[in-house]
Amino acid sequence: MSKSKMSNWGLGLAAAAVALTLSNSAFAFDTSADKSAPKVSGIGMNITDAAIKPWNISYFYDGTNLPDGSGTVSAGEKIYSAQCAMCHGDFGEGAHGYPKMVGDPVDQFEASAKAGVDAVSNRGLNNNWGNAPTLMDMIHRAMPFYAPGTLTTDEAYSVTCYVMNLASIPGVGDDFVCDKTSLPKIKMPAEPLYVTNSGPDTDNTRCMKDCYKGTEFVVEKAASIGDVSVGKVQKKDSQ
Amino acid sequence: MSENMINPVPEGANKAGVASSDRRKFLRKSVALAAGGAAIAATTSANAADGLKTWTTPLKNEPTRHMLGRGVVSVPYGLPSKYEAGVVRRNVGWLTADTIASISFTPWQDLHGIITPNGLHFERYHAGAVDVDPEKHRLVVHGMVKQPMIFTVDDLKRMPSHTAIHFLECPANGAMEWRGVQMDSLQFTHGMMSCSEWTGVKLTTLMEMVGVDPKSTWFYGEGTDGSALQRSIPMEGAHDQHGKPIPALYTSHYRDAMVCYAMNGEALRPENGYPIRLFVPGFEANVSTKYLRRLMFVDKPLVTYQETKHYIEVLPNGLIRQYDLVNEANSVITSPCPDFKMNGKGTYEIRGIAWSGYGKIKHVDISVDGGKNWTEATLTEPVLSKCLTKFTLPFQWDGSENLIMSRATDETGYVQPTLKQLREVRGFNSIYHKNSIQVWKIEKTGEVKNVQIENV
Repeated sequence: MSKSKMSNWGLGLAAAAVALTLSNSAFAFDTSADKSAPKVSGIGMNITDAAIKPWNISYFYDGTNLPDGSGTVSAGEKIYSAQCAMCHGDFGEGAHGYPKMVGDPVDQFEASAKAGVDAVSNRGLNNNWGNAPTLMDMIHRAMPFYAPGTLTTDEAYSVTCYVMNLASIPGVGDDFVCDKTSLPKIKMPAEPLYVTNSGPDTDNTRCMKDCYKGTEFVVEKAASIGDVSVGKVQKKDSQ
Repeated sequence: MSENMINPVPEGANKAGVASSDRRKFLRKSVALAAGGAAIAATTSANAADGLKTWTTPLKNEPTRHMLGRGVVSVPYGLPSKYEAGVVRRNVGWLTADTIASISFTPWQDLHGIITPNGLHFERYHAGAVDVDPEKHRLVVHGMVKQPMIFTVDDLKRMPSHTAIHFLECPANGAMEWRGVQMDSLQFTHGMMSCSEWTGVKLTTLMEMVGVDPKSTWFYGEGTDGSALQRSIPMEGAHDQHGKPIPALYTSHYRDAMVCYAMNGEALRPENGYPIRLFVPGFEANVSTKYLRRLMFVDKPLVTYQETKHYIEVLPNGLIRQYDLVNEANSVITSPCPDFKMNGKGTYEIRGIAWSGYGKIKHVDISVDGGKNWTEATLTEPVLSKCLTKFTLPFQWDGSENLIMSRATDETGYVQPTLKQLREVRGFNSIYHKNSIQVWKIEKTGEVKNVQIENV
């Protein structure tokens, strides 16, 4: 929009700014620290929710804002084969370093984590994904990687359906239909594993003298990783 | 999406390597090393004067003495000396499937202050860097607000501005070192972090303009690139998707957040989100959405792809930890470092950088004897909140082996952990937020190596 058009909004915004000033005390954040800050007016435009809607493609973990439409496993298989399998593998096993859809079963994943042998390459929809609507969100917004955001709503639902079927997500059989009602009901296998960080988890102290006795156990670079290129850094004399 | 596949260990690497005895070397501490520890305080060391040669050839003028140089604006946008061509961002090929969804590293081994030159700021793309036309770009602020609004980039520049110096760090900084020593280079152990002077509009200014509902406890930003990346950011009263409160430690960082249009005094670079980006100081960089087109105020987290699949930590108890948002206190010695060799015995200055996502750096301590004894370093002003702080300490190198390291303490009293302490609670697979004490080993040959001390 041009700047001259924007100026037409100035009067309306001034009125809006007054209304906002009156309700400051109700704000969730504390404005007391910013009392000296001037109230901003005459900048920006109001916009309607209807005008924003095409941009609001965020689908919450619980299905909030999932769009109308639907998709099937069989329709998803065709799209996946043509547009997804080259990176994610015919069977969701991943290819060329791109993520796999199907990881170790969740109990095996958990056991690997406890044994300290889990790796990113083990992770898939069946062991490292909390909620099915998030999958629809991700596919609709950012896939396929080389042409992000180009799937229709029904295509995105279908691919969502197919990859969950591929990963043997419980409840997603061959005839499953994905839509805004069915997706929130899916129980992803890893969902119970998710916990929220509760704060700093180490408590080192600022020891200054004789902090430990005995010999430190020094590990140098593994010979087995010795051929890894780390770029073109050249050893130089210290300046 | 290739993206986010930051593999902590390259394909084919010995993943059980930490248990293999051939990688391990017991270093029996010699009397000499113990003496090296004492030398940090001793400025009267004799060896600085040892072995200095005498220059006898008459000095000649350099070629530049007898010629004219370039005129003004021969380089309209100035560039570093051609002799500094090696000071560049670098990437690690095996880390990601391609460079479009990947990361590059800032060459801290070649930098001397707390500000990262814009051309050396680390890059992190999820769908590549894009060129967004600032005339056409719009920012929408909506959701639980009295009045949704849309802004041009010029609108944002006209508003009251906020300028502050802060670090920005990918939580995967150091990720390749969880299982064992992997990168013999400061650039690759700590280069997913940069520090700039940021200018923009405070988020709270925008919040006031649209009238955010007091019931809104989360918001998220979204970019206009191919990834349309979105991350949920908690505010006071935020609860997770299970109904559990988000710790108060993480619900006030948004007050410092801003919508930035400038870094180090000039427009953002396309690599860093031109024309505008969200920036939440102290939080892991992934939440600071580039190419920002939308801010939405809500009352629950989205639990996005980034939050469920990627920026999570698989803990040794088998659980998957979410919302580890703050980059906790960290530090590293930037000189000496593995990218350079010591140049003979004598005087050096140990230099480094320290930072914390909780506030200011309070102390940095340095050990040159494997962490047994520590000396407090001098902090170089300015010491700012959620910002790199430079530290220095004189060092007399007597040619012996030294295990050197720095340890940061921030104003909350949090002390940077050892790798052993971190592994005890996070295991070997959590990938992110590896802020443990970094040890460099100075060899008798003058080589400097990246090493890990496993047992302390």
